[in-house]
Amino acid sequence: MASRKTEVNDAGASSASANGTPKGSNGSIPPLQQQPPTKNPHGIPDYRLEQLPFHIEGEWKDGNYHYKVIGDTTAPAPPLRPSKYLTREQSIDIYRLMVTNRKMEDSLERMYKQSKVIGGLYLSLGQEATSVASAYALGKDDWLGPMIRNQGSMIVKGYRPRDTMMQYMAKGGSPTRGRESGSHYGDAKKLNVIAPISHLGDSISVCAGVALGARIQGKNIACLAYIGDGGQSTGPTYEGFNFAAVQRLGLVLIVEHNLWAYSTPVELQFACKDLADRSLGYGVPGVIVDGTDANQVYDATHEAVERAYRGEGASFIEAKLMRMKGHAMHDAASYVPSEVKEYWKRRDPILRMEHYLIERGWLTAEEAKKIHVEVDALMEEERRFAEASPMPDPADAGTDVYFDNATEIPLKYGEVKVQNGNASAKLAESSATTHYK
Amino acid sequence: MAAVTYLEAIRQGLWEEMERDPRVFVIGEDVGVYGGAFKVTEGFLQRFGTERVVDTPISEMAIASAAYGASLTGLRPVGEFQFMDFISSAHSQIVQILAKSNYRWGAPAPLVLRGPSGGGVSGGPFHSQNPEMFYVHTPGLKVICPATARDAKGLIKSAIRDNNPVLFFEHKYLYRRVKEELPAEDYTVEIGKARIHREGKHLSVITYAAMVYVAEEAAHILEKEGIELEILDLRTLLPLDNAAIAATVEKTNRVIILHEDTKTGGIAGEIAAIINEEAFDALDAPIARITSLDAPVPFSPPLEKAFLPKVEDVVREARRLVAY
Repeated sequence: MASRKTEVNDAGASSASANGTPKGSNGSIPPLQQQPPTKNPHGIPDYRLEQLPFHIEGEWKDGNYHYKVIGDTTAPAPPLRPSKYLTREQSIDIYRLMVTNRKMEDSLERMYKQSKVIGGLYLSLGQEATSVASAYALGKDDWLGPMIRNQGSMIVKGYRPRDTMMQYMAKGGSPTRGRESGSHYGDAKKLNVIAPISHLGDSISVCAGVALGARIQGKNIACLAYIGDGGQSTGPTYEGFNFAAVQRLGLVLIVEHNLWAYSTPVELQFACKDLADRSLGYGVPGVIVDGTDANQVYDATHEAVERAYRGEGASFIEAKLMRMKGHAMHDAASYVPSEVKEYWKRRDPILRMEHYLIERGWLTAEEAKKIHVEVDALMEEERRFAEASPMPDPADAGTDVYFDNATEIPLKYGEVKVQNGNASAKLAESSATTHYK
Repeated sequence: MAAVTYLEAIRQGLWEEMERDPRVFVIGEDVGVYGGAFKVTEGFLQRFGTERVVDTPISEMAIASAAYGASLTGLRPVGEFQFMDFISSAHSQIVQILAKSNYRWGAPAPLVLRGPSGGGVSGGPFHSQNPEMFYVHTPGLKVICPATARDAKGLIKSAIRDNNPVLFFEHKYLYRRVKEELPAEDYTVEIGKARIHREGKHLSVITYAAMVYVAEEAAHILEKEGIELEILDLRTLLPLDNAAIAATVEKTNRVIILHEDTKTGGIAGEIAAIINEEAFDALDAPIARITSLDAPVPFSPPLEKAFLPKVEDVVREARRLVAY
């Protein structure tokens, strides 16, 4: 199955042609050679076509402590690894969605500078391939557990740029009616998106619970969760993922190894080289991909999702990339050495995808330009809509703390289907051998 | 009909809800083959199977948030903590994720987290606490602390049928110490409604859980002196039954607030404020608080006895207030 499985709002960002791509119609994939992945020292498959040739160390210089680069940062970006699964139409669709992700954030940045954004603005520059291509591998019954930077994933799942814009402007028309900030929104009824949780790692166990709930209803779904290299340091990350691993739930965890947790480099976050090594400890398959290569991200996620559908359990994907902006707009990321920024700038996921599509003969430069023009026009429409939305009614501040007991909450997947149990067993009095009396 | 213990009442309530509604399932540590640390779910695995009786790794946060995740798919999970002391290991998930879910993003979370709390059994500082007030201070949750077998069964059923996250604090001292005959038919007890445990006219003791019985013993002593205690069992701490609190104060004009939780930040302070707002003019004496000491729960019996509120404390304060 290689078609985009998520139903997309027609008024959203996707091209119409890709929506209709039938399952299995991948005749347009040219027979490009698939290089097998290398293995890291612990046997984890590594699909990247290059290794990071440098690392960061702290040093004192002229009375100041700063980070310096050890190694060579001059290497050019390698080509993308051809996808085993994506058709031409899907590849172009992913490109368009990444452009949409980028332009939405560009638009938000302008609005921030115009003081139209309330509070912080969190951008995902450089991380669009990881967000978009991973979410693209989900089907409509699958769930997404995004973090704040996975705004592109939320577009793929069916949200419109105006939703994120209204959230950042604290508008009454935003998905949370002004109750929550930025990308902290979601939809458990239709789109299956869990509102991002600021307490890092917590959304992993929530995703596991969603997959458990689906399984009790007889359905193996995939639930795609993300965590950063910083967030994975938390206990909840371990507890949540371990639970999913033990229960063989269809949790797909993408660890976005984006090198900076706010201002803290990975060298101060963990002592191993590849976070995918942790998959060994959990007893689940792990892979390493280049997070700026949409094809690698899609293929790895697609395989993990298929594994989830087969009921084989959780998967761990480490995506290596870099957060190209500060933690939020107020943070200029001056702690990042400039040559590191330059190295990753050459690995811009959208430019790399564009080169790949053009070199493969799947897209012309003119067609690429046309996509940009169309997305610009869409973004202008989205911005206008968002700005016109009213601020929330103050009378709404204390409402809906509780959900109405008179309203039935439907089962997401129809009915409970459990495999075992003995319907004739009766409740007997419990034994008295307890802990404290 | 035979009398049923507080523990069996909870078991019956849980079992009957699982029989009645396939959406209900239990999840916790050792709840399956072993039947739970206090045997609340003994026999449940055989009846309902491994998919509706889920044994977890030792991870309270996974219990709470996996229950929450499952509730997002329309199921009605009941998570068990072996001791409510360990609810603190899931504190972040409960107060940040579950409690705010409906408000933040319109995702109701119909789930129950239950387990034994309270002292009197030499459980020591990690197995005797009354952590309910952390959660009473969290909008979006409901907090239940039953004192009787009848209420325990009726309230666990209401908790499971509620569309919101409900924390159900069972009192382990009461598990096998109180028993009564229960209605044969399916019944529930409404969340948010207090109950007059004993009628009286001279002084009200507003209390809940195991302290209801401390108040009752004091009432037996005081009635010989002609002092009639009214005992109001709150049953639910969030939402509090303000009307019942005001009504008993207006009836007796004197109030003791008694709880096993420690004093500072305990619910007695909140109730005193409610009386101040809603029944100030009815008071004929200052409000008295009787609580545990502001200390961790000690292990050794003489220390724990000194820590917990005692019958003689209630008798002494009652005499003082009546004479005021």
